[in-house]
Amino acid sequence: MRLKRQGDAREFEVELLGQNRQDNADQGDADGRRAVRIAIDGREIAASVATMPDGSAMVDLGGRRARVAGARRRSSIVAAAGPFAAEFVMIEGRTAHRTGGLAAPEVDAPMPGKVLKVLVAEGQPVEHGDPLIVLEAMKMETTLYAESPAIVAKICVVAGQMVDHGARLIELSPAAISAKPPESPSRDD
Amino acid sequence: MKRGSISKLLIANRGEIALRIIRTARQLGLATVAVYSDADADAAHVAAADDARLIGPPEASQSYLNIAAIIEAAHATGADAIHPGYGFLSERPEFARAVDEAGMIFVGPPADVMAALGDKVAARRLAAGVGVAVVPGLETVEDRAAEQFAARVGFPLMVKAAAGGGGRGMRLVQAQAGLAEALAAAAREAKAAFGDGRVFLEKYLAQPRHVEVQVLADQHGGVVALGERDCSIQRRNQKIIEESPAPGLDDGLRTRMVEAALKVARVAGYRNAGTMEFLVEGGEFYFLEANTRLQVEHPVTEMRFGCDLVDEQLRVAMGERVGLPAAPRGAAIECRIYAEDAEQNFRPATGDALYLNLPAGPGVRIDTHLMTGARVTAFYDGLLGKLICWGADREQARVRMAAALGEFSLLGITNTAAFLRDVIASEAFREARLSTRFLERFFPRWSPNDEALESLLVAAAMAAGGAIGAARPISSASSSSRGARSDGGRSERGGRSPWAELAGFEPWGRGER
Repeated sequence: MRLKRQGDAREFEVELLGQNRQDNADQGDADGRRAVRIAIDGREIAASVATMPDGSAMVDLGGRRARVAGARRRSSIVAAAGPFAAEFVMIEGRTAHRTGGLAAPEVDAPMPGKVLKVLVAEGQPVEHGDPLIVLEAMKMETTLYAESPAIVAKICVVAGQMVDHGARLIELSPAAISAKPPESPSRDD
Repeated sequence: MKRGSISKLLIANRGEIALRIIRTARQLGLATVAVYSDADADAAHVAAADDARLIGPPEASQSYLNIAAIIEAAHATGADAIHPGYGFLSERPEFARAVDEAGMIFVGPPADVMAALGDKVAARRLAAGVGVAVVPGLETVEDRAAEQFAARVGFPLMVKAAAGGGGRGMRLVQAQAGLAEALAAAAREAKAAFGDGRVFLEKYLAQPRHVEVQVLADQHGGVVALGERDCSIQRRNQKIIEESPAPGLDDGLRTRMVEAALKVARVAGYRNAGTMEFLVEGGEFYFLEANTRLQVEHPVTEMRFGCDLVDEQLRVAMGERVGLPAAPRGAAIECRIYAEDAEQNFRPATGDALYLNLPAGPGVRIDTHLMTGARVTAFYDGLLGKLICWGADREQARVRMAAALGEFSLLGITNTAAFLRDVIASEAFREARLSTRFLERFFPRWSPNDEALESLLVAAAMAAGGAIGAARPISSASSSSRGARSDGGRSERGGRSPWAELAGFEPWGRGER
């Protein structure tokens, strides 16, 4: 399983190698713990785990203890270890878009907030670095800019609207006189 | 403003502070009324109060800032007093006036006193008038005058909104080129946040500490101070760690600052709990602003003085006199845990609390509205809770805080607990090298260390493994039990259980038999 933490460029290959399922709470050994083996980027880690009725577990990683919890979503895993929390995206092969020279064919909200201003109109050509939309979140204004030349294909929000993290704001299509498409466009797989 | 007893208190707020006020009201034998927006139908404060009224849609401007709807809710429930909490309407004189005109007690200062102290420009004049130093500034901001002021005191300068607080409408200007734009942007933010676009300019101090004095004043002219709080550790000009006493503060300066705070409160004719904020730099202090309400960080003072400031507020509102405070003991620290991503410049986060573990222990207090299943939306401030630790001295409070933050665990909402733990555990914090630039200096960027990352990956692997062939879908059991609640009018929330989105969430090691 290949995992990428949200906000972190690195990817990790993580595998649950095995767990001693016999030693669960009903028929566990004396201290109620069981052994779990995990590989992170090929490096094997042995953990001793005590599960809790609330769904969490106390994990002992070679003397370092952490209370951990986790849940699997459709395409990601949320995990907590003590006060640390993270969301890991599961990477399954390549899912590169055919973007026709666009940095990205859509502009999504990088944070939850309010759409303060929409600075472009549908059909309008934009250049790299042109401001597209102004969001307000936590009293701060954030301007989103075009990352490549494009034409505004669709505006999905209106000023004053509240948006969640990841909400689609604007869809872009390749500019008419576009930069050359990628030399060997990656096919969707 | 009339005096008299209160029998039923409406709390015009939400989140942890609404819960906190309800607790004290109940201890005083008062009935309580919560108000809520459509987004908060399932919120903890609604369930905690004796009665609750829907006041509007999720947008704060139409619910928690809707004076008419709140007054109507008070009438409808027979409330005879309104506590505004902090934020929202707590510093709006027109709200205090409306409550008064409706024949109810406003738990706060008289509207005209609030107007005078709440306006930063007027408050600066008031303080200067009684000989209290203020930061060099310019009150009337026209581009020409601003340029002249800038030429005189030099950059950087701070643009601030005359109304409100909490870092809203504030802009740092480094050079002439950005001045006009910063004035305009701050005015726009202030207009949006407070309905008042007036801004003013202040000299920007390089490494100041933010120290504030808690005061308590009654309507008989009694004014007392309950020590100070150092609130220097801020991001986006908003406090995230506060403590009392202010470490290493010169005793003489502390005494003079407390006297200055009392002077300002007296000359303003203040009544209620309130805070006088100062900047401290180079052995001098400058009056910054007054907060005419309960502060977010009030528990720091409560822990040290063994008092209940909401209790004091309610007593003052009922016409009682303030007494001399007990002698303070030990030290207290507060950490504010926000739904924000500390790795991404404190970008706000939303989500559902899938798992929650709250710390406990000697000297540990947590004020929070969080519970498993609670949803955090983008509609309101992202404060999830406040962790407050007391110790016989600062070091004991600090060690307790580090341990308590280590126990705190929240799955499903990106939050600042781990960041705060690293700050509290740092040498810079242990040595109290405090200034409002603390985070820029010592934590310009932060991410979990390798050990934490390893623990998280182990947790992720186990979550994935545990979910495979999950034979006991807790998710469906959970959502059906939520749906079955007798919560008339809230049934649309039934299908939005956070558990429903999960492929499988189960106690590890018990799923597969």
